[in-house]
Amino acid sequence: MSSQLNRTALPLRLTLWFFGLLTIFPFSLLLLTSVKSQPDLMRGAFVLPDYPHFENYLHAWIDGHFGVYFWNSIFVVVPVVVFSIVLGVLLAFGFAFLSFPGRKALFVVLTIGMMVPAEAFIIPLYYEMRYLGLTNTYAAVILPQIAQSMPFATIFLASAMQQLPDEILEAAILDGASRRHILWHVILPLMVPAMSTLALFLFIWTWNEFLIPLILVNDDAYRTLPLGMLFFQGRYTVNTPVLTAGAVIVIAPLVLAYLIFQRKFIAGLTAGAGK
Amino acid sequence: MKLRSKLDAPVHKNLIYILPGLILYAAFVFGPIVSAVGISLTDWNGLGLPTWVGLQNYAGLFSDERFYLSLKNNAELMVFYCVLPLGLGIGLAAILWNMKPREQLMLRTMLFLPYIMPTAVLGIIWAWLYNPAFGPINQGLRLLGLGSLALPWLGDFTFVLPAVGLVATWYFFGFCMVIFMSGMQRLDPNLFDAARVDGATGLQTFRTVTLPLLLPEIRVVLLLTVIASIKSFDLIFTMTRGGPANATLVPNIYMYQLGFQLNRFGYAAAVAIIGAILIFTVNYAIHRLVRPADEGAN
Repeated sequence: MSSQLNRTALPLRLTLWFFGLLTIFPFSLLLLTSVKSQPDLMRGAFVLPDYPHFENYLHAWIDGHFGVYFWNSIFVVVPVVVFSIVLGVLLAFGFAFLSFPGRKALFVVLTIGMMVPAEAFIIPLYYEMRYLGLTNTYAAVILPQIAQSMPFATIFLASAMQQLPDEILEAAILDGASRRHILWHVILPLMVPAMSTLALFLFIWTWNEFLIPLILVNDDAYRTLPLGMLFFQGRYTVNTPVLTAGAVIVIAPLVLAYLIFQRKFIAGLTAGAGK
Repeated sequence: MKLRSKLDAPVHKNLIYILPGLILYAAFVFGPIVSAVGISLTDWNGLGLPTWVGLQNYAGLFSDERFYLSLKNNAELMVFYCVLPLGLGIGLAAILWNMKPREQLMLRTMLFLPYIMPTAVLGIIWAWLYNPAFGPINQGLRLLGLGSLALPWLGDFTFVLPAVGLVATWYFFGFCMVIFMSGMQRLDPNLFDAARVDGATGLQTFRTVTLPLLLPEIRVVLLLTVIASIKSFDLIFTMTRGGPANATLVPNIYMYQLGFQLNRFGYAAAVAIIGAILIFTVNYAIHRLVRPADEGAN
């Protein structure tokens, strides 16, 4: 093995590092610009500031409303992740172990929703929300995203449940435990790894969602971070340092989650891909 | 099977588990999908009652030059969404695969980073990077004495599509690389020893041994990137809104303009439905055409 490890020639390694730097270069520039003053920026995009202007973050958070957008994102992401997992566990249990009429047809109906993008049904969804009086509420952004995560959550969790060792479930059944008890006290503890991977995916997808809040919310008080950033850009076109500080606020939680859970994230992603 | 019958119960007791999720799904995803098909068969300005027009909207699309243009732009974008990330991803994975674990982990962490980001925000960041006057890209070119190359990227009719497309390439290639890496780890090292004993060069081994065995990963990457290109909206909306002069117009942007700006909801829904049909077709085609050799006829 060791002879193989050293075989990567220097030009090839340099190529890879070139692409690696290319990937993070925009993010480095973003960080740098977010601590510059406007005059600093005038002196050039690659010039270092005399001292870091952290007040840009304060401006973004307060004057740029990024504080409001940040909390809105939290208020949307938390219920979407929690309810998607709870409802997903129930649905997955149903599809993995229970019988009901139209089981196969319902499964097909669910997978259709996984393929059709929100763009395809955003028009009826918008009118539905208007009819229900929900436009410009958190519910308008939360409910469709829980509904949209049902197919993936169900398929992901059902396949994890089917892989649980039969003996454990058999033992619980022999003990005469009730179905509800088996689900909550036997299956669920074993599902923690799968559920946390799912939570990570749902967090990232919901945090990043753009179309649903773009169409279903037009009151600034309910905008989530990606939307807020778009409208901030519209309001203050020239204030690049504050704009980049805002961008850092949007992506910092993602980068943090990614660096902490990297292995879990990539393992979950590639496991799904191998099938 | 045995297990299932033991956990099972009469239907009315089972429904408690599946109904909450299914009702929500029906109300906010499946119902709207069915309604979108219905709306696409009407003429509707969003205010009055829709008038039934049958397939007239779809017939209209066949002679709509802007719709054709959006499809053509989308096809060109596929080079940047699919072909380049696939090629780069597989090539870089082949290099990275042989590297020391620490260096491998560092590079993988860096290259994968864009994939977790919101594409809408990346669009705004790249619009700043591409800014003709004070954007870092043009400033960099001027510093290097290449001022003549400092084009108004997103305002240039010719270069705007590649400029937007390269952001998609930048977004996807690290992701593709990670998928291919995991595929390569699955392969049997003995195969490569055998190839080496047979006197195959590195490139020959790659082409005749590695590539065919990576077909499952190629299929996944193609599926995800082709579908992403058909779905593309966020990145283009935040960078160009389809402009200049429709040079980056894609079906979903056209749908947005028709519906939410021109109030032609029936026609817009038809565009959206065609997009969904395209995704189903591509999905089916890739599952059919890109098939691992050992998988047989299913």
